[in-house]
Amino acid sequence: MCYHDTQAMYTHNGEDVFVIDGHIHLWDATEENIIHEGGEQFIQCFYDYHAAFTPEEEQWDMDTYRQYGKERMVRDLFGDGYVDMGIFQPTYLTDFYDEGFNTTDQNARLAEEYPERFVLNGSFDPRDGDEGIEHLERLKDEYDIQGVKLYTAEWRGDSKGWRLDSEESFRFLEKCAELGIENIHAHKGPTIRPLNRDAFDVADVDDAATSFPDLNFIVEHVGYPRLDDFCHIAAQETNVYGGLAVAAPFAQNRPRKFGNMMGEMLFWVGEDNLLFGSDYALWEPDWLIPAVMNAEMTQDQRDEFGVELTPEIKKKFMGENAARLYDIDIEEKKAQFQDDEISREFGLGDRYEEATAD
Amino acid sequence: MGTTNPAERTDESAPSDPLVDREAVRERLDRVHDPELDRSIVDLEYVDSIEIDGGDVTVGFVLPTAWCSPAFAWMMATGIHDEVSALSGVDSVRVELTDHMHGEEITRGVNEGLSFESVFEDADDGVEAVRRKLDEKARFARQYEAVQALQEAGLDPEQIATLTVTDVDLGFGPDAAAVTLRNGTLSVTVPREPLSEYVEKARATGLLTGADDRLFADREGEPLDADPESFEAVYRDARLAVSNIEGQATICESLHESRNGVSLD
Repeated sequence: MCYHDTQAMYTHNGEDVFVIDGHIHLWDATEENIIHEGGEQFIQCFYDYHAAFTPEEEQWDMDTYRQYGKERMVRDLFGDGYVDMGIFQPTYLTDFYDEGFNTTDQNARLAEEYPERFVLNGSFDPRDGDEGIEHLERLKDEYDIQGVKLYTAEWRGDSKGWRLDSEESFRFLEKCAELGIENIHAHKGPTIRPLNRDAFDVADVDDAATSFPDLNFIVEHVGYPRLDDFCHIAAQETNVYGGLAVAAPFAQNRPRKFGNMMGEMLFWVGEDNLLFGSDYALWEPDWLIPAVMNAEMTQDQRDEFGVELTPEIKKKFMGENAARLYDIDIEEKKAQFQDDEISREFGLGDRYEEATAD
Repeated sequence: MGTTNPAERTDESAPSDPLVDREAVRERLDRVHDPELDRSIVDLEYVDSIEIDGGDVTVGFVLPTAWCSPAFAWMMATGIHDEVSALSGVDSVRVELTDHMHGEEITRGVNEGLSFESVFEDADDGVEAVRRKLDEKARFARQYEAVQALQEAGLDPEQIATLTVTDVDLGFGPDAAAVTLRNGTLSVTVPREPLSEYVEKARATGLLTGADDRLFADREGEPLDADPESFEAVYRDARLAVSNIEGQATICESLHESRNGVSLD
């Protein structure tokens, strides 16, 4: 049961759920921006994932999917989608896309219009050497980033990826620690040309997490296709987190599998170390958030895993855990959102008023 | 299982009395597995077409995404080639992988009998190393089902942990296996399939070679401890191996359904 007469602040059984969508993109895959066939393959691959896990009546056409733009994104997240705040996770892919696919600078064009609603993350690639360090410093300086999104499997020239526990990578992680960039999001999931199975290996997260106890390592897509290896690491390291992007849409078309997956997550990773993400625009929060909030584990699953998927736990991974990692004060935000630009634009202020009055 | 693949083209123009039986080809294909999902490519509806022309067989297959690991696609393509070639009456086998980003290279490589390493010179991992890793994961996942069946039959952790290959009679009945306990003084029947599936994979990974080998092992292949706590830990770990495969299967099935219009139920 859920009630959402107005579209702000998701409510579940009458209780407010502050949603921080931990994984959003603003991308440009228009044909004019594509400079390598990999760029077209990449967006087609994304579209396959979109169509595979989106209810038929909610599916987008390919043209919209290539570039949906700022206005639509704001409406999809905040106007119709129950999201209170969103965290941008950039995907540079500058070998494939002229201006990049979804860079911090591109994301900033929207984030800076509504800074109270968005968190901007950066990225680094240790193969960039000194130039990469300068890039990271510029992002910190310009946008005060608190996190980075990393693609260890990205190909570059003769290199087929890099490892988080390499000497070059440690130099960048040290720089992150020094600059106060505490949240390291590692993408280990599907990638272009996964010729080397070790591109998906998550073992490097283990060494990096041990060596940098003050940084948080969020493994996106909960490590699929290495869910098991990821769980082993997360069970041992308190600073290793699981991002639920890709796994969350199971709630929509494979509810039993979702219950099973959550059972494993809660058993191995723990309720304080999981972060919801829609992966927008792969999937849209307006149907995904209700699907996840309404998902339940069966009695069999609760017995088998010895865990419960309670509303309190859902509130944690829907927003509270991300708030902790990104120093967001939820009560302060609710007060601010009673009358910010987004709330005025979509008529959402009342809901935040009720929320704080409670 | 077993909805008909709408994409499958049955070759109506085939000779009325072909030398090679279509069902026999399907039966051979059923032995080819998706190495990551540990499931038959026939069950998974990857087989797109079977064309039989006298003794010449052409098998077309399609994968859930164009980005499926080339190494996995290669294993399936060579598996198809080898299984169908072994059928009596077959003169030649042609395998065609379509809608895959490396479809052409894999199709050519398999039909010309090339090695994976020569087709994909820039791949670091040899295909056999990848296969072994996946087989070991599949072995561990199958152990979960086998151990669950034994527990349901009433065996306790110590009995399960100390079982050897010779304690299990897989030929006891068509659907039943017999497990001998207490130095042969007690025999318990259990469903055959989870045990036979497990033993098959345990042999393939080299875990079971001699008659005295312990039947079950942890993820690393080390024999199980009989004490309930460590037994439970390995049991949960094996469940996780199942969950990994099932989660990945969920992703693949959804992609296959959406991209290729194939629905498995």
